[in-house]
Amino acid sequence: MKRRDFVGRMGGWAVGLFSAPLVRPSAHRPISPSLLIPMDDAQSDHLKAYGLTYRAIQAGLKAEWLLNYRGGSFLIPDLDALRRDAALNGIRTERVDSAMTAVRGEIEANNMDAVPLEKAPKVAVYAPPNAAPWDDAVTMALQYAGIAFTKIWDPEVMNGSLRDYDWLHLHHEDFTGQYSKFFLIYSGMSWLAEMVQRNSDMAKRLGFPTVPDLKKAVARSIHAYVENGGFLFAMCTATETIDLALAAHNVDIAATFADGTPLDPDADAKLDWSQAFAFTGGHIETNPLVASFSDIDGHQVNGGARRQPLGAFKLFNFSAKIDPVPTMLVQDHRQVIPDFYGLTTSFTRNRLKPGVTILADEEGAPWVKYVHGDLGKGTWTFFGGHDPEDPQHQIGDPPTDLSLHPHSPGYRLILNNVLFPAAKKRELKT
Amino acid sequence: MSRSLNWGIVTSLVLVLLADAGRAARGQAIGPGFELERSGRYADAASVYFTTLRSDPTNIPALLGLERTLFVLNRMPELLPPVQAARARQPDSPTLRSLELRVYAALNQPDSLEAIVRRWAASAPQSEAPYREWGLALADRRMWDEARRAFLIGSRSLGDGALAIELAELEQRAGNWEAAAAEWARAVTRSPDVAPNAASQLADAPAPLHDKVARVLTAPGASPRARRLAAEVLLTWGQPNEAWTAMEPTLASPPPDSDTPTALRRFADLAGALTTPDGHRVRGLALTRWSDMVPWSLGSRARAEAVRELLDGGDKVGARRVLEGLTSDSTAPSEAHAVAEAALLQVLIADGQLDVAEERLAAARTTLTADDRAALRLDLAKARVARGELDRAGAALGDDSSVATIAQRGWIALYRGDLKGAMDAFRIAGPYASDRAAATDRTAMMAMLQRIQQASSPELGAALLRLARGDSVAAIAALRRAATRLPEQGGRLEVLLLAGQVAAQKGAEQEPAATAMFDEIVRAGGEGAAPPAAELEWARLLVRTGRPAEAIPHLEHLILTYPNSAFVPEARRVLERAKGAIPKS
Repeated sequence: MKRRDFVGRMGGWAVGLFSAPLVRPSAHRPISPSLLIPMDDAQSDHLKAYGLTYRAIQAGLKAEWLLNYRGGSFLIPDLDALRRDAALNGIRTERVDSAMTAVRGEIEANNMDAVPLEKAPKVAVYAPPNAAPWDDAVTMALQYAGIAFTKIWDPEVMNGSLRDYDWLHLHHEDFTGQYSKFFLIYSGMSWLAEMVQRNSDMAKRLGFPTVPDLKKAVARSIHAYVENGGFLFAMCTATETIDLALAAHNVDIAATFADGTPLDPDADAKLDWSQAFAFTGGHIETNPLVASFSDIDGHQVNGGARRQPLGAFKLFNFSAKIDPVPTMLVQDHRQVIPDFYGLTTSFTRNRLKPGVTILADEEGAPWVKYVHGDLGKGTWTFFGGHDPEDPQHQIGDPPTDLSLHPHSPGYRLILNNVLFPAAKKRELKT
Repeated sequence: MSRSLNWGIVTSLVLVLLADAGRAARGQAIGPGFELERSGRYADAASVYFTTLRSDPTNIPALLGLERTLFVLNRMPELLPPVQAARARQPDSPTLRSLELRVYAALNQPDSLEAIVRRWAASAPQSEAPYREWGLALADRRMWDEARRAFLIGSRSLGDGALAIELAELEQRAGNWEAAAAEWARAVTRSPDVAPNAASQLADAPAPLHDKVARVLTAPGASPRARRLAAEVLLTWGQPNEAWTAMEPTLASPPPDSDTPTALRRFADLAGALTTPDGHRVRGLALTRWSDMVPWSLGSRARAEAVRELLDGGDKVGARRVLEGLTSDSTAPSEAHAVAEAALLQVLIADGQLDVAEERLAAARTTLTADDRAALRLDLAKARVARGELDRAGAALGDDSSVATIAQRGWIALYRGDLKGAMDAFRIAGPYASDRAAATDRTAMMAMLQRIQQASSPELGAALLRLARGDSVAAIAALRRAATRLPEQGGRLEVLLLAGQVAAQKGAEQEPAATAMFDEIVRAGGEGAAPPAAELEWARLLVRTGRPAEAIPHLEHLILTYPNSAFVPEARRVLERAKGAIPKS
């Protein structure tokens, strides 16, 4: 299940189009009663639908993801337990049996595909022990959809526990070890003091001289996890700072308040972007008072005059049969989605490495929103912004209640990422 | 007209036309540059601008175009010679001086930059412009410390709050909100016109820094204008009491300066955006003080408004003090008298002085407007009902035929046990009479009455009256007794549900009674809305009392048993909360 080589698979699928793959779902499979979970506007709770599908495959049942069919619908067996689950959670399902033949015909004839989902991925969320679930969009989405996850933090990452998980989400961590650069702005706040104390204690416990050193090591472990086949999903600050931490393996980019020494004046020149996931050529924000890390973020929400207004981002269309992975990641019932701020909101186009797949961007703007790439045997996906349903999120704002946003197209993108590692690797005809 | 004069006019016209043609030609020459710049062809645009400057070395748009394009092309050194040539031709042009500063800043030549500023400042010793342009050029390059130094040099040499705005904005950009507040305080002290901008800028300070910013503006020795700035900012942050604490001392300083009435009125208007009781009270206080400072014609209306605000803010003593002054003032206009009288009657009714209010209401028949009179009669009737004085409540309503009055008559009929009369009155009143809460209460009562076949039930009426009078414990028992006299599918479950809901709100003491009633309703089941409603209430009670795990089976039962019930969406939300899948709101 884990360490699945999507890169090889994608190439293989292109070949498979012309050479009848062995286990590809087709119109010839026996008809058994199924429940279709539509994901277009007919769906009454899009987010919980992911949870229902996840629980079905977690129970060892077969499911399929019908890419681009009715907003990226799911097909699960028609069982009483699943019907009950759907009824309790307010998820619309439609019983299909003989009608599936026509559906499969439609899928064959169009830019659609049916991807078998075989095993529920084991999900880990990298978050400090005291983080409330409501601090993070992914955790909220998992909680709401009813998808189980385990919280891990620095000790688990450093002792190699990542290998126990298929999918890792990074809570909006600052991997540069500068406490999101809130250190001076929010000085005196108890939550910040607690954060500093907790991180300092952890660095000491794990044998690192400073918090930035610890976070660099954690970033390298996560990088290795992906290289070995893990699926990484990051939002907000975690996207930009993990790449900065990786690129800065030999240079001090942390301000004095974080590690007791000023940052290297030639830091920009010494960054080694070959170590990073997504970005290259970024310039460090040297002012410790500006809660911005570099020029990778296009919106610079705390960058004073550099701050850019929010627009809307558009999801790209991919070929479902040739590019199934990006197609899965952009399944949605809306193609244009209002943008939302985060400490890192978007990614400047000219800072992306060649080969990065852009999944969504703002047309005409110099930034993109949602990117994906492969690294070794694994994949990573970066999604800018903090909370798709709270575009101006501020520290201390009340948490988002997802039961009020059951159709959130932005949150769907998060859940696409959770489910796509469940997709079955297709065997190739040789 | 003489021949020489004719020639003079013709010559002038030709000169004017030539001058216009020169301007037009200059615009035409540079126009393609703008177009090229817009389409992103910066190098081509720069060539056009350079060509323009060869024939017209002081062409400002061309020089500014070069500033934009050469920056993008990373060729800023090429801009210096044409700028210096233009400066040599027009040494006193502030635009060219500013441009020259920016070029040196872009070339990172701080010494030359400072030397130019010094020369400019020496030629214009009272002007802030040299220092402003210096600082801004550095700030644009994010050289915050150097920009601060530039502004401070200017500020020290010019004194008296000079460059305070620039310093404030710089500190703000750098995230130094306390320093920004100190500079804004200097700026408003120097010029009150800056205040709205200062308030709007400081309003963006992060919430954790609000106290610190306010402390800077209200520190001992702060000017009245700085304190008023603090008051405005605090109002924007939704802190009306602290805002008034900042504002009030500036009104007492003898004599109040000429800005005071304007500042006070602005304060009152800003407080109008707050809907909290404290917001209303503070607005009332501000309006009261403002009305003392302006002529009667303006002040009387403000006083009446102040009374309403003070009442909405729960400050009855303050309201009565203003009212007593108003109603006894014979010089006040009749309109102000009417508003004051209505407000005073409201105070009396709210204070429970119903007899006094009734007498005064009868006496003020001609003073009050018809709308005010009807509203006061309704308030009086409700106050009588709350005392159980149903006859006097009915009398207070008089012969008024408004829908709100009809609805109130319905309640009075209901409390007398006349269920049919109540239902008829509620139907006539319709769904929109009175405010939304009253309409909802009425609709809920109609839903209950609909299930009851009997035309009258004195037991139920008496029980509901107890509830209306706030005696909820007795009302619970009375409602349970009344329910037993009704058939199971003919209103009993609905009345029990009401009793259960009241009991569930009463806390631990009534919790077993509430649970027993909910249990009875859920077990009975049936077609009505009571069983799912009772199950939802039961689950809510369990969640509220820290037993979410026990609530989950009830909610699941409700959702699966009554899938079409209107309570299902809310049941799902409660279920999510019980499972911890969504935050507590």
